[in-house]
Amino acid sequence: MENELIIHNVSKTSATGSYVLNNINLALPRGSRLSVLGPSGCGKTTLLRMIAGLDTPNSGDILFNGVSILGLPPHKRNFGMMFQDYALFPHLDVFANIAFGLKMKGMPRQKQAPIVAEMLALTNLEGFEKRKVDELSGGERQRVALARTLAPNPRLLMLDEPLSALDRVLRKHLLDQLTQIFSRLHITTIFVTHDHEEAFAAGSQIILMNQGKIVQQGSPDNLIHHPVNDWVKSFMA
Amino acid sequence: MAPGMDGKPVAVKTRIYTHPYVLAGLVPLVFFLVFYFYPLAGIFLRSFVPDFPAHLHIDLSFLDQVAGSQRLHHIIRFTFWQAAVSTGLTLAFAFPCAFVMSHYQFKGKKFLTLSASIPFVLPAVVVAAALDASFGRNGWLGVLNIRHPLVLIFIAHVFYNFSVMLRILTSFWAGLRANVQEAAAMLGAGPFQTFIHITLPLLMPAVWAASFLVFIFCFSSFGIILILGGPAYSTIEAEIYRQAAHMFNLPVASFLSLIQIGFTLVLMGLYTAFSRKAVRFAPKGSHTNFKQPEKFWEKAAVTGNAGFIILLCLFPLAALAGKSLVHEGQLSLIYYRAIFDNPASSIFHVPPFTAIKFSFIFAGTALAIALVTGLCAALCLNHLDRTKAKGLAAFFDPLFMLPLSTSAVTLGFGIIITLDRPPLNLRTSALLVPLVHALVGFPFVLRAVLPALKNIPNNIRETAATLGASPGKIFRCIDLPLISGALTAGAVFAFTISMGEFGATIFTASPRTPTIPIAIYRFLGQPGAMNYGQAMAISTLLMAVTAAGFIIIEKISLRGIQQF
Repeated sequence: MENELIIHNVSKTSATGSYVLNNINLALPRGSRLSVLGPSGCGKTTLLRMIAGLDTPNSGDILFNGVSILGLPPHKRNFGMMFQDYALFPHLDVFANIAFGLKMKGMPRQKQAPIVAEMLALTNLEGFEKRKVDELSGGERQRVALARTLAPNPRLLMLDEPLSALDRVLRKHLLDQLTQIFSRLHITTIFVTHDHEEAFAAGSQIILMNQGKIVQQGSPDNLIHHPVNDWVKSFMA
Repeated sequence: MAPGMDGKPVAVKTRIYTHPYVLAGLVPLVFFLVFYFYPLAGIFLRSFVPDFPAHLHIDLSFLDQVAGSQRLHHIIRFTFWQAAVSTGLTLAFAFPCAFVMSHYQFKGKKFLTLSASIPFVLPAVVVAAALDASFGRNGWLGVLNIRHPLVLIFIAHVFYNFSVMLRILTSFWAGLRANVQEAAAMLGAGPFQTFIHITLPLLMPAVWAASFLVFIFCFSSFGIILILGGPAYSTIEAEIYRQAAHMFNLPVASFLSLIQIGFTLVLMGLYTAFSRKAVRFAPKGSHTNFKQPEKFWEKAAVTGNAGFIILLCLFPLAALAGKSLVHEGQLSLIYYRAIFDNPASSIFHVPPFTAIKFSFIFAGTALAIALVTGLCAALCLNHLDRTKAKGLAAFFDPLFMLPLSTSAVTLGFGIIITLDRPPLNLRTSALLVPLVHALVGFPFVLRAVLPALKNIPNNIRETAATLGASPGKIFRCIDLPLISGALTAGAVFAFTISMGEFGATIFTASPRTPTIPIAIYRFLGQPGAMNYGQAMAISTLLMAVTAAGFIIIEKISLRGIQQF
């Protein structure tokens, strides 16, 4: 299969000169589901922000469908990104939050409504259109954020620790919902997490990162049964 | 209920209202009843029942006088539109500066923040003197011929309120979570669309709140209008003073005070509503990442911002200090030396040194009164808040803040028309001025001390109690050391406010006991280079005292943040 997203020798150093990302290479086929796993501070969020265009590498290149996207500002990439704390717009209601990406495309309101309705149905949020964002529960916010990310039909879906703000019971339930939704969509997905159970459930391919480097890449099975070193073994335990 | 330390059972509920801390709350309550509510009631009575208590006859004849007076109509209209224009100008200048200050990190930013804050803490008379030193007939920029009273009033109001606007806007803008704007970018919004659809709507409540606050300040501006505006440009505040002090028309002055109180309360209500909304949009626990200016336009914006703030906030102050040191084109300390003389040629009854002396005595006394009453109020509110009487605390907290939203002129006027006869005649008492100053300084002490008290976790006190400390010991060894920084900040606030207070002082100070602001006002009103120079010199001294006070408070509150 053709590789849709290619990350080629990407490095990023911090202001103090240490590596945040150290020579990352990655190729993602169209429709694949990747989980980026690693302890906090390993560079996984930075990698995601670079793909999104919110951060720029010091060296290396990022290609999408064979074209470098480094010069493309984030709002022109048509990538979807779900933030760790959802970053919902507090002054807009649920409908306006979900419709925001459509509005930015210049879509008239009559055309927005059916798409928003479809997204609400997908995330089990029917009837929430007029609700204020700060009246929602944690799980509801998470689903609004997902619906908002999916509404403009992005070319790539990125999720940054989408479950970390929720309690344990809710996390399990919403992880199941998320994976169901992923399997219905045919969209390339990158799921960032520090929890290996979440990583295994969300991705068919895993990259395990530590200190700015990819330590191991492979299927969940591969990581559990063939850890490349003791650190991977202890992280998986 | 747990038994007390001495083994006797303690009935906690019934003891709430006789707890020493709650009883301490009676001190500020009585203070308020006598020196705040009684004078305001006096204004009300003087308006509608002029012969009270001799005759209970409601006299509304002054209303015809007000209704028929073109001058009063004009004054009320002018008060509103000068405040609106001043607020608009302040916003127009502060908004771009707030963008730079909330987004970029650069060399000298701390200095710039401090410089921008200083004008706001300066007394109005000092601001008026500084503008005179910049744009007046003898000012450094006198050749520019910017002498129209209206233009000077607008410059003074922008100079004064720029820092409030900048502070509020900068803190909200920096606090707007970057990821909300990043989320907009990921959904296809370009920088301009993000600004229009996300940043601006989120910023608007803070813009409104800051604008209402500045509007209130300009609406009740007194010293600046009185000194720079002259009789041609009078606001309600200035007119209250003229009607009362020059024309002895007490019913009209009282009625204008009522209008002033009414408008201020409405404006304060609007301000509170918008700041609540602004807080709702504010992030919890923000982590602001400042950028380094890199592109050309970013560097230009940062440089322009620095240049503008220095020109607006520091130039008039430097001009003031400069004028006080230059006599007939030469560096000289003659004006400072003159402060301590009382030359026969002076039209002034007492040497300015006397005014300095009285200012310090009054400020010291006001500090003591404000500190004691403020501490009592804070202890009481904190205790009520921690017990079941939360509602009572929620009622008294805003009540104690009322002097902040009452104009000083109204307060001073109310006090001289009520406390000049039995049962309480303070007309000739030296305590009158410090009492009024303490009332104005009280809310600042309360706002400094109460959060510090609330910050002390109850289990610290409980631990001390289990280790054998009596309630008195707990206060001395636990509470007092932990709130010492806040107490100092409150004390410095009370002191500097008293040093610069003008509106209430002009009513309450007797001619033989002037304060520094009164002396500056008189000097500025007299012709001659010597009077002008002395006005500049004592203004510079007052500027130094208040600026020093402000810097001390900033240092203390920075330390406080690190502590907790």
